[in-house]
Amino acid sequence: MIIKSLDPRVDRAQIDEKKEFEGLNDLDHWQTFEVFHQEKRGEQHQHVGIVHAPNAEMALLFGKEQYARRGATVNLWVVKTSDVFCSEYEDSDMFDTTPEKFHRDPGSYKVMDKINKFKERISKEK
Amino acid sequence: MNIEQKQLDALKNLLYKMADDQLILGHRNSEWTGFGPVLEEDIAFSSMAQDKIGQAYQLYSILNELGESEPDTVAFTRNAQQFHCCEYVTMPIGEYDFSLVRHFFFDNAELLRIDSLINTTFDPLSLLARKFKGELKYHVLHANTWIKQLANGNAESKKRIQDTINASFGLALGIFEPSDDENSLIDTGFFIGEKALQSKWLAIITPFLNSCDLSLPNIDDTKPVYGGRKGNFSQYLQPMLTEMTEVYAIDPSAEW
Amino acid sequence: MYGNAYIDPNAKVHSFLEGEDSSRLATFEARIARGEKIEPADWMPKEYRKQLVRMIEQHAHSEIIGALPEGTWITRAPGFRRKLALIAKVQDEVGHAQLLYSAAETLGKSREEQTNDLINGKSKYSNVFNYPSKTWADTAVIAWLIDAGAIVNQLANSKGSYGPYCRALERICAEESFHLKYGHDNVVFLATGTPKQREMVQDALTRWWPPIMHFFGPSDKSSQHTEILMRWKVKMATNDDMRQQFLNMYVPKIWDLGLTLPDPNLKKNMETGLWEYTEPDWEEFKRVINGDGPCNKERLAVRRIAEENGRWVREALAKPNDRYVTPLA
Repeated sequence: MIIKSLDPRVDRAQIDEKKEFEGLNDLDHWQTFEVFHQEKRGEQHQHVGIVHAPNAEMALLFGKEQYARRGATVNLWVVKTSDVFCSEYEDSDMFDTTPEKFHRDPGSYKVMDKINKFKERISKEK
Repeated sequence: MNIEQKQLDALKNLLYKMADDQLILGHRNSEWTGFGPVLEEDIAFSSMAQDKIGQAYQLYSILNELGESEPDTVAFTRNAQQFHCCEYVTMPIGEYDFSLVRHFFFDNAELLRIDSLINTTFDPLSLLARKFKGELKYHVLHANTWIKQLANGNAESKKRIQDTINASFGLALGIFEPSDDENSLIDTGFFIGEKALQSKWLAIITPFLNSCDLSLPNIDDTKPVYGGRKGNFSQYLQPMLTEMTEVYAIDPSAEW
Repeated sequence: MYGNAYIDPNAKVHSFLEGEDSSRLATFEARIARGEKIEPADWMPKEYRKQLVRMIEQHAHSEIIGALPEGTWITRAPGFRRKLALIAKVQDEVGHAQLLYSAAETLGKSREEQTNDLINGKSKYSNVFNYPSKTWADTAVIAWLIDAGAIVNQLANSKGSYGPYCRALERICAEESFHLKYGHDNVVFLATGTPKQREMVQDALTRWWPPIMHFFGPSDKSSQHTEILMRWKVKMATNDDMRQQFLNMYVPKIWDLGLTLPDPNLKKNMETGLWEYTEPDWEEFKRVINGDGPCNKERLAVRRIAEENGRWVREALAKPNDRYVTPLA
C-alpha cells in the first residue's frame, strides 16, 4: 500500500507502507573521523567533533559541511578515530606538577640583593 | 558603461538562462533534504542547493537593475514557457546516481561559465562571477570526488554511474543550446558563447572521466536535448512550478 | 520527551544503584557536584550510561524526524528569503541529529543501532512531530514555538554533567537562535498580514496548541529516581518547571499579536506567578507516542527509504578492513 501524504515529496517517493526494514549492519554508516578546524590563520587547530566517512577524502568534504558551513574556518584536518592514541583520565594525576618545581618559576630568580651587596663591596674597596 | 539595446536584450537572455538554471536545479536538489543516503551527505547537498538558489537570487537582482521585475516576482509568477533553463535541470531527482551525475555535468559546466565571465566587460556580472567562483569550486570538488569514489567503489556503483552518464549525456548537452542572439555578446567580449563553453567542458570532463575508467558516449551519436532555452519543455517543469508557487500564489501581493 | 530523561515508573528504585562500587560512585558524584564534566572514558554507573544514551538518542531522533514536517514545505516556500531560510533551518536539524547521534555513540551505542531502533519503533522521539503540517503557517508556528520549547530544554541540559552532550548542545544552541528569530519573524508577517494570512496562522496555532502543551511531558512526580537523576545532572529541571518557563516567555508574545489560544483556562495566576491551564490529554499523548498518531507511520517510512535507497551508495564505498571504534569526545 503506497503512502499518501500531504507532503508532495513523500507522495513522489512512492513508499510501500508494508515493506519491512531489513536493518543496518555494523559499519553500514562507515567508520568515524575526528575533525579539527582552524578558525583563522595563526590560531591552533581545534577538535570539533566527528564525521562518519568511508575515507579521509570524503571525511574532509563532510567535515567542511558539518563543522564549517557557518562561521569562520580556513583549514580542516581529519584523522581516523581508530588512529588517535589517548591517555587515560584515571592517570590525569600524572599531569599535576608538584609545587616544589621552583627551578622553573621565573619568580624564584631574585638577584637584586646580590647586585646591591656587590656594588657596596666594590665602592668600599675603592 | 554603454550597452546597446540589442546587446542588452542578449545579455538579459544570458542572465535569465543562468538564473533559471540555478533556481530550478537548486530547487530540485533541495528535495533531497532529509532523504539523503547518509546524514553527512544530506547536509552537504542541502548547502549546495542553498548556494544555487542564492546565486539565482543574485542573478535575478542584476536583471532587476536592468529593468526586469523583482526577483520574487520573476521567479514565482512565470509559467513554464517563460523560463529559459535547460530541460536537464527540470527533471525529477530520480535516484542518487541521477542527481550526482547531473551535479557533476552541470556544476563543471557552471564553473567554466562563471570563470569565463570573470573578465566580462559587464561589471556587475564580472563581480558576481568572482563571488560565485569559490562556491562553485567546492561544488565541482564535491561532484568530482563522488564520481571518482563511486567509479572505484564496487561493480554496482560503477555500472550505475556509467549507465547514468550514458542516459544523461544528451540532456547535459542541452546546457549548451546556442541562443540566436549570442553573437552580439561574443563579438563585444561579454561572453565566449555556448559552443566555446561546450568545448571547454568536454576538454575538462573527458580526461577526468577516463581517469576514473568511465567514458562519455560518442558525441556524434548523441542528440542534444534542446528546447529549454526557448521555453519548450517536456512534462516536468510546469508541475514543479505549480508546486513551487503554491503558497506564493495564495496572494502575490502579500508579504511573506 | 524531547531531551528529557525517560523514567520507567515500574523500575525498582534500588536497582538504579544496585551492584555499583560505592567508592567509585562517591568519586563520580563528587566530580559532578563540583561542576566538572564526565567524559566518555570515565567510570560511570550503569544507570547513568543507560539514561543518557536513551535521552541523547531520543533527542537525535527528534531532530531528524523534526526535519520532515517543515521540510515538507521547502519546495513550496513563498519567496527567496523564506525558501533559503527554510532549507538552512531544516539542514541544521539534520546537522543536529548528526551531532547528537555522535554524542550518544561515545556512550557505546553505534549509529546503526540507534537508526535501527528508530525505524523499528523501539526508540521514541518527540511526539509533537507525529502531527501533520497542513499549511505554510504550520511551519511558522513550528519554527517559532516548537523550537522555543526545544531551546528551553536545551539550555537546561547544556548545564548537565556529560561532556559530549554539553558540547553538542552548545553548537546546537548557537544555531537555534536563528531558527527562533526566523520562526517568530514568519509568524509576525502572517499575523500582521492579509486576512487570509492571519486566518492561516490562527488556524495553525489552534491545531498545534495541544501538541505544544504535550511537548514537555506529563508532570514529574517527585521520586527517588528523579532525585538521583538530578543529582547526576542528567535531568536538569522538572517537566512542569520547563513548561512554566515556556508559557511565561511565549504566551504573552502570542497574545500580543492578537492571536487566540484554544484554552479558556489559560491564564497567569498573579499571586503564585504560575500559569494555569486545562490539563492536556495525556491519554492521547500515550496513544500517539506508541504509534497511533496521524503521521507516525509516514515519518518512520521516510527514514526507512532514505536508509534503503542509500544502501548502494554506502556499500559501494565501504572497505573490508574498516574498523569502528567508539568516538572519543
